[in-house]
Amino acid sequence: MSALGDIGHLLLTANLWQATLAAAVLFLLPALGGVTSERSGVVNIAMEGMMLTGAFFAVVADLKLHNPWLATLVAMVAGGLMALIHAVVSIRFRADQIVSGIAINIFAAGLTVFLVNRIYGVQDVGHVVNSELLPNINIPVLDQIPFLGQVLFQQNVIVYVALVLLVLTHVVLFRTRLGLRIRAVGEHPQAADTAGINVFRLRYGSVLVSGVLSGLAGAYLAIGIANTFVPNMTDGRGYIALAAMIFGKWTPFGAFIACLIFGLGEAIYANNSFIHISAYLLSMLPYIITLVVLAGVVGRSTPPAADGLPYIPGSE
Amino acid sequence: MLPRFSGLAVPLGSVLFAFVAGGLIVLISGANPIDAYQGLLCGVGLLCAGGENPALELSTTIVFLTPLITAGVAVAIPFRAGLFNIGAEGQLLVGTVACLVVGITLSSLPGIVLVPLELLAGMAAGAAWAGIAGVLKATVGAHEVVTTIMLNYVAQWLVRYLIIGGPLQAPGAFSASSPISVNGRLPTFFPASNSLIVFGLPSSVYRVHTGLIIALVAAAVFAFLLWRTSLGYEIRAVGQSQKAARYAGVSVPRTIIVTMLIAGAFAGLAGAIQIAGVDKQLTDKYFNDTTGFDAIAVALLGLGSAVGIVLAALLFGALHAGGAVMQSDAGLSSNLVLVLQALILFSIAGNFVGQISRLIPGLRPPPTLPSELPPAAPLMTEAAAPPPETA
Repeated sequence: MSALGDIGHLLLTANLWQATLAAAVLFLLPALGGVTSERSGVVNIAMEGMMLTGAFFAVVADLKLHNPWLATLVAMVAGGLMALIHAVVSIRFRADQIVSGIAINIFAAGLTVFLVNRIYGVQDVGHVVNSELLPNINIPVLDQIPFLGQVLFQQNVIVYVALVLLVLTHVVLFRTRLGLRIRAVGEHPQAADTAGINVFRLRYGSVLVSGVLSGLAGAYLAIGIANTFVPNMTDGRGYIALAAMIFGKWTPFGAFIACLIFGLGEAIYANNSFIHISAYLLSMLPYIITLVVLAGVVGRSTPPAADGLPYIPGSE
Repeated sequence: MLPRFSGLAVPLGSVLFAFVAGGLIVLISGANPIDAYQGLLCGVGLLCAGGENPALELSTTIVFLTPLITAGVAVAIPFRAGLFNIGAEGQLLVGTVACLVVGITLSSLPGIVLVPLELLAGMAAGAAWAGIAGVLKATVGAHEVVTTIMLNYVAQWLVRYLIIGGPLQAPGAFSASSPISVNGRLPTFFPASNSLIVFGLPSSVYRVHTGLIIALVAAAVFAFLLWRTSLGYEIRAVGQSQKAARYAGVSVPRTIIVTMLIAGAFAGLAGAIQIAGVDKQLTDKYFNDTTGFDAIAVALLGLGSAVGIVLAALLFGALHAGGAVMQSDAGLSSNLVLVLQALILFSIAGNFVGQISRLIPGLRPPPTLPSELPPAAPLMTEAAAPPPETA
């Protein structure tokens, strides 16, 4: 059979789309965080590091507390703390947000391995037993729907959470007063300040959201998909989330579509034995697609106007 | 305080801050910071407690610092033009690939021809890789930070592909290429002899190689280019104000592209030097290579000047060499070096030194950021057409 025919056949299987959604959510959570942070005017390339931190602390906490829910909470707090550093350095100290973001990523990569060594010795971290992982949940009745039931309603608990957060992020950003304020602060902080909006508070909050969501994604990766922590286990996924955010033109649903495309690529590769392209070549695709998008081939992708600019009260 | 030295307050203070904060992290984790830092100091041949040979440690430090100088220049040049090259890592990686391909395919050539060809190939590949980001920036305004990040990952996966199942995989090896031939290698300072004893060890253990000279020349070329040529003037003009540069007759898009090409060439040179000077082949070691990211810290800590870059590269080279000593002597992960590096970046970016000195009465705060560096880059704004419509 031809490879194209095989792919065509594969595209009709529910397994593939189930795996696509499961993979997409891993990118979606940090991408939603990135959208929120950058909409408020704080450039965030630190999702990778915040996610890695979340993954590490999720495993540490789960091995200690034997409770995946508490472990997930710990991961979200850990991601949030990393975001807090980024927020303080870039909002309070008006640092270059790119440098701060790079520093967060380096910090996370270094600190997690340093702590693995301190806590567990040189050996690896160990494995979380199946009963203490974030569970897959089948939604009763709905999961019996042909095709769609398997794709949408037989997923890890975090997938459902992420889909709710997707809608929530969209509604908050574009349908509420809070969202209007966040966007105002990201487009024109001076005007927002004049209108009595607390620029700093909104930016702090938005950056923290990005850390909490990235930490959640880290927990999903480490104790939902995998069952352990290995150094640098995020392996660029936080940057794929960044790519999805840009691809999606800084909107939640746009980012989601990009995440689905990137997730589909992963799922096709994981679900086949007939594509003889190296996994490593396929892994380049999200980045190449993003470059093509940035090249303007598929329309312009424009960030919020004040993205990356520290706000100095009283400045022009 | 002498005004001449006040410029050093930010880098020195940032290093001090990193060591204090890093020491606290070590302390909280239940280890002794003094043990940790003693191990790190051994990187420059001082206080080696575990029986390490100081001369060998110094040699290792120099091996580490050599690519950091050229990669640091690759970050520093775009800084002067107001561009942020996060892509030195990707440019370095394609440089290693190009050097390797030339070294293997033309292995019959004599070294005097082959080595320069390898280095030139590395520079050309790096330049082309960075050039993509330059062209995208100059033509459609795609932000170079984002494009270079994407290009980094493309390069990383490319290297993995090439040596795992790809065309560069050596027969019988899992994740390594074949080595380049002996005539394609940069000469080492000490002969590869087991009978000649230097500083108590056979001379073959010292890997320090002539790439150091190339790197130092590259730093000098950088300084000359920037301050003594019209291109350097144009680069600095664009970095100061694109508008003013345009009025002065400088083609901003052209300068952006040329700047990125030159930067990529320096980063590619770093990769080629690594292959021709130390590693001889591509291995899975390069999957976790961080030289191009260390280079960002090198360029920032070196305040974008040639001398500063060399000194900062020395610091990070010593930290990397010392990190291995610390790991074996004190049992602490050498990844502490990354933590220190991140803390240095936080401090420089957030101007912690200026903030802290403001709290001390009677002390004049140092200048905020080194004046040569562009102010917190006006990110993504020049590309911004109308703001995105709300959904």
